Amino acid sequence: MSSAVTSRGFDIRYRTIDLVSLTTLAVAFGVVFWAWGKLYEPLSNLAVFSYPPSSALLGGVWLSAGVVGGLIIRKPGAAFATEFLAAAVSTVIVGGTQWGWSVFASGFWQGLGAELIFLLFFYRRFGIVTATLAGALAGVFESRYEWSAYIPDYSFGSKLAHMGFFALSGAVIAGIGGYYLVRALAAAGVLDAFGPGREQVSEV
Amino acid sequence: MRSAVLRANPLAQLSIGMFSLLGSFWIDDLDVALLALGVYAVAAVLFLPGWKYPLVCLGFTSIAAVTIVYSTWRLGGHDVEEAFANGVRIVVLAWPGSVMAGYVDPTRLADYLAQSLRLPARLVAAFAAAMQRFTGFGLAWEQLDQVRRVRGVGRTRNPISNGRYAASMTFALLVQAMRGASHASIAMDARGFATAHRRTWAEPADWTRLDVMTVVLAAALGAVAPLLTVLA
Amino acid sequence: MRGAIRLSDFTWRPLGRKAPVVAGLDLAVEPGERVLLVGPSGAGKSTILHGLAGALGTTLAGELTGTAEVDGRLGLLLQNPADAIVAEHLGRDVAFGLENASVPRSEMWPRVDAALDRVGLGVYGRHHFTAALSGGEQQRLALAGVLVLEPDVLLLDEPTSMLDDATATSVRQAILDAAGDRTMVVVEHRIGPWLEHVDRVVVLSSDGEVVSDGSVASFLAGPAPAGVWMPGLPTPEPLAVPADLVRPADALGVTAEDVVADLTTRTLRGVQRTRALDGFTAVLAPGTTTALTGPSGAGKSTALAVIGGLRKPTNGRVTPDLASRRTLELATSVGWVPQNPEHGFLTLKVADEVARTAGRVGRSVDAAAVLDVFGLGGLADAHPYRLSGGEQRRLALAAALAHRPSVVLLDEPTVGQDPGTWAAVTGWVAAARDAGATVAVSTHDPDLPRDVEHRLEAGVSS
Repeated sequence: MSSAVTSRGFDIRYRTIDLVSLTTLAVAFGVVFWAWGKLYEPLSNLAVFSYPPSSALLGGVWLSAGVVGGLIIRKPGAAFATEFLAAAVSTVIVGGTQWGWSVFASGFWQGLGAELIFLLFFYRRFGIVTATLAGALAGVFESRYEWSAYIPDYSFGSKLAHMGFFALSGAVIAGIGGYYLVRALAAAGVLDAFGPGREQVSEV
Repeated sequence: MRSAVLRANPLAQLSIGMFSLLGSFWIDDLDVALLALGVYAVAAVLFLPGWKYPLVCLGFTSIAAVTIVYSTWRLGGHDVEEAFANGVRIVVLAWPGSVMAGYVDPTRLADYLAQSLRLPARLVAAFAAAMQRFTGFGLAWEQLDQVRRVRGVGRTRNPISNGRYAASMTFALLVQAMRGASHASIAMDARGFATAHRRTWAEPADWTRLDVMTVVLAAALGAVAPLLTVLA
Repeated sequence: MRGAIRLSDFTWRPLGRKAPVVAGLDLAVEPGERVLLVGPSGAGKSTILHGLAGALGTTLAGELTGTAEVDGRLGLLLQNPADAIVAEHLGRDVAFGLENASVPRSEMWPRVDAALDRVGLGVYGRHHFTAALSGGEQQRLALAGVLVLEPDVLLLDEPTSMLDDATATSVRQAILDAAGDRTMVVVEHRIGPWLEHVDRVVVLSSDGEVVSDGSVASFLAGPAPAGVWMPGLPTPEPLAVPADLVRPADALGVTAEDVVADLTTRTLRGVQRTRALDGFTAVLAPGTTTALTGPSGAGKSTALAVIGGLRKPTNGRVTPDLASRRTLELATSVGWVPQNPEHGFLTLKVADEVARTAGRVGRSVDAAAVLDVFGLGGLADAHPYRLSGGEQRRLALAAALAHRPSVVLLDEPTVGQDPGTWAAVTGWVAAARDAGATVAVSTHDPDLPRDVEHRLEAGVSS
């Protein structure tokens, strides 16, 4: 422990702070997912009875953990793990979710969608474009899963509409929303150990 | 027998939901859907320690299923039977898993994830530790809520300002959570976590005969729908 | 030799700071020596412990040069023991370090049980819930988790500053009993109780340099350092706060009659209910300061929350019925500072934070004057979350009370505060009461001025 400068380079190994922050985010987002699941039912009923696929517009909240985890931790697997674990947490809270094991499957696909975008940029770009695309692809993957799991008998056009709404919601709520959430957290000084904190700091 | 399911290990408990999910993909008509659901209902009566909690879960899942019934009817060519088949299928898909998740002990789950499934040790240990923050998050949320109310920016009856309120609460909770993560990380490293790429576990992750039987039962229950569909 | 500590040319510049917090520090501690680090907030006391614990440049971002070396195994206790809890049950929590060290399971449990016994938690046993422990017990648990690894060096970062005096004394004793002949480095604001147990006192200046380094006797003979509670000195004079900053618009007394209150705690496994108040009666009059006292867990915080309308009583009556008020109406009358107030700021600027509630209820507030009282004058444009821990606490106090409420409620406002903050808090309380506010404070601090004392025991007025 002679001399250490906070590493700025790219290092795929997870430090303790990476693991602890990732899992802490997963628990916090798990609670958010759980609460959103309880709020979702009445809202989605409104959406369903106007135009059913539009209920996918409410889904973006469930895609946000992966985007936020990926933007903060910036390491391979972070987006996937944050999203999947957050989904898992939301099921084991007592009173669980109405969707049972399906939540694990959703967490898997949503996490994978976001992760692929970060991979596509070689874990080097973490701007608003990356965030938006990550949210959108998470939405596409989730919608594709829901085609099989929940709505196999929708007409093809309705399925496409469902996917479009999910991607839009993912892009806006999880992507753009997640991007600004990370910026706000960095401004509050709690991300100093991570890329977003280092980039946003002003010296006093 | 009725508390056996509580003693089964978490992976065995969760396997019930996994097989119900997989089995549900074979359901494509109402008779099969109802039969599969009936088998799960009988299993619930036989094996679960109480009936209230499963019923509450069934209620939640059914509400979700109703929206599927309606939307499938509207967008799938106004076929009533097909719509109901989809609704009941959702219940088969989700209900067993949502009930069983309520019996899972997170600490034991972590032991099994690490030792039976061989997931990365440090990730699992960090996850188990983070789960302990849940109660603290609840208390923090309550205090944040009280502070906002007494400072004149609490919840109101206006839905739009409530949306902003929820966002600001969530943000404050995340700030607190991340700050706690930094302290926790220091404390954990001081106890040797930084170098614990291989670590031992204080509790074993055994597979008893009960656990194996639970998984077999889970698979059998899940196989009902595919078998019926193939036979039909 | 195991247990030796050596810092040489140790320099740390945290991310976002132009100047280092500690620059070129040299310090050597012999095995078995007990050292107390003393200095004002921001002197880099915690930085030294973090450096020794290997947290600098990893968990905490910044630039580290020089060396910070510990020979042997170290153990660290933090200010908030809740941060160190990693498991649901006591035994599993203590075992965490052994798991990391790949100790075989068969050896683990005897060592865990022995460690729990050593800190006095053996009576609860392995399977007791960590969430059910009080603050003092949590710190004992953290101590057990450290001792089970048989450390050569104990690093103590304000381990008792969040505890009331009686609890702090017993936790301190547990630490000292366990320390034996290990090397020990302590950081603490209230240094008095530690002095007789250490061999050496190192005083740091506010820019992280060693001012003096010597025996306890030579420290006591030297000049008193700023920002430190020196034993034997009288408590500081409460700060004079201008009446205009605190004068409420109207007088409002509060009466609680036979109040019963249950608390609900949500865990992953469901909801737990506990009875916090069981027949609490009090009359709080304008122009008086009421101190709610009693042991930890007696229901003082709950009583305060019930009085202020923050919590609906399960049974009994509070007049006026503040609990039914909407947020704006409540804010008009009540100001409340919770126990850990440094959470949940509402704005992005210190000055805005102070003016926020006043703006909501339509009062003007002299933010600059309020910030001056709390020693935050130069920080009006800073981001609230970017302040140091002590500054955040003072800001939270100012933000909660700047709108001149008629009912002023403070929950343990002086725990862990340095003398300057102590004077500001007591000064504000005295001025508000003189100006006609109804003041209630839950406290263990015998020096906090009061007119009426109301003692609680197990949720009942005694």
